[in-house]
Amino acid sequence: MTEAIMTEAINTDSINVDAAKNEAIRQMTDYILKEIVRRPGVEVTPDTPLVSSGLIDSFALVEIFVKLEKLTNRRIPAAKIQPKDMDTISSMFATAERLGKPRQ
Amino acid sequence: MNLLSLSYLLFIPLVWVLTRLVNSVTARPMKARQLLWLAASYLFYATWSLKFLCVLVVSSLVNYALGIYLKRKPTAGRLWVGIGFNLLMLAVFKYLPVWSSHLGQGHHSWLLENVILPVGVSFWTFEALSYLFDIYREEDLDPSLTEFCLYMAFWPTVLSGPVCRMPELLPQFRNPQPTGDDIADGVRRIVLGLFMKTVLSQILGSGLRPGEGVDFGFNQMARGWTGLDVWILAIGFAFQMYFDFAGYSNIVIGTARVFGITLRENFRDPFLSTSPAEFWTRWHMSLSSWIRDYVFMPLATWRPQVWWRHASLVIAMMLFGFWHGADWTYIVWGALQGLLLVSHRQFQQFERRSNLQLPPIVSSLGGWAITFCAMLLSWVVFRANDLHQARLMFHALVHFSSYRHFVLPRNFVLMTVVIAVSYFVIAGLRRLAENMKQSPVVLRIGWALSPVMYSVAVLAIVIMSIHKAVFVYLQF
Repeated sequence: MTEAIMTEAINTDSINVDAAKNEAIRQMTDYILKEIVRRPGVEVTPDTPLVSSGLIDSFALVEIFVKLEKLTNRRIPAAKIQPKDMDTISSMFATAERLGKPRQ
Repeated sequence: MNLLSLSYLLFIPLVWVLTRLVNSVTARPMKARQLLWLAASYLFYATWSLKFLCVLVVSSLVNYALGIYLKRKPTAGRLWVGIGFNLLMLAVFKYLPVWSSHLGQGHHSWLLENVILPVGVSFWTFEALSYLFDIYREEDLDPSLTEFCLYMAFWPTVLSGPVCRMPELLPQFRNPQPTGDDIADGVRRIVLGLFMKTVLSQILGSGLRPGEGVDFGFNQMARGWTGLDVWILAIGFAFQMYFDFAGYSNIVIGTARVFGITLRENFRDPFLSTSPAEFWTRWHMSLSSWIRDYVFMPLATWRPQVWWRHASLVIAMMLFGFWHGADWTYIVWGALQGLLLVSHRQFQQFERRSNLQLPPIVSSLGGWAITFCAMLLSWVVFRANDLHQARLMFHALVHFSSYRHFVLPRNFVLMTVVIAVSYFVIAGLRRLAENMKQSPVVLRIGWALSPVMYSVAVLAIVIMSIHKAVFVYLQF
């Protein structure tokens, strides 16, 4: 009985985490489209290559990095990041989870 | 062995034949091929100087050991040991001889006699640094000692890049597979590179007759310059640099391609850029992306404030300038590039805030004109013999009364304009052809023109090769 309650609680937690992550990805996509790219007709999905396709420059990449830290509430060590880690929105969030440390 | 010498043109097919032989005869072709290429690379580098080779071998061995040390525990402290060693290498072998000239006479002569400047030291030291950074970033790299030494000394890139990265080269060193298309493309790029360097860069630099050319124009201090002269010299030098270094890049990328190795591109029509940020994704791309990945990104993300991002951009570009040499002209040039990038960013912010939407044609043409002119002016500082000369040349630029005539020889002015206009016409046509490359008409015209263009290029190379040509970027 206790085990069933715990499993349900874990499942609910993971659903909440997924929902929060999806919301953060949506906000990031919105931010990149409206604040960085600003070109009519350009589509950005979580898997759109951003740096390798030339859609964003290195300065914008830093702005996105700062936004990523805010959205995930994590401190990400920039020296550990490779350009390919920031190439798509999906890979950014995966990198934040892998390398980032939760902020106090 | 100069890349423009007959011996180099014989060296490529010789190594290529030996590679084929090794691949077909030996039981372990990968190892044997790597050893052959390493021996060829060391032989090639030793033709410049045995002392240079000693420095390269020591740097390779120490960096390989540092890589193992860092891989065991990838901490920032261990990375800094590696960075410190490589910066020390650069300080001793690249900057000390220049700094020594500022010391007293006794120190100066001793240092100049005893310290050498190994050709390409800035390029292969940056390759070693990127390897250490990649290990720190826990990239899955496991080069053998032979592979690491080959990465550092690979003969097409050892003199002046492109600055390579281990993750791109290692799989290719293990399994190069040259196809017929690779060989054809490699040869095409070598011929194109030779044409750009020995014909176009050479006539811009030295002129068609003595007393002409960019070098003469920048050195004629006594006669002074008019505003028009400065613009022509800036255009001439920009295209001289482009044809020199893009020509060199074509030769080495083509050489590697013949052996089945694809190197990073270094140039992609830089003078068609419509913003300074775009320019730096098209000019000396292997170094600018290095600076972006290993200097600017870690620096800019260190603090979240916007002002720090701007400062990081200027600092990164000043380092870019300093990489060329310990001269104030390079550092000021780097600072100017940084300020241009920051200004462009400010304009983008202004566009965002004011919701300004310029028509695409205005935005593209205006952006191109401003970028091209700003880059030209910054090249004046880069090429000037010192800051005093740069100041005199800028003084001429802002005195509109000096725009009435040229001091420079009329032939040189005409030649520079023709070359610059031709560049834009050819680059524009190439873009058009790329967009229509599936069209059968374009394919047929391409096939018909190729032999004619190659014959003209080879003839021009032979005629111009009587001049002694040296790559500008060898000094860096």
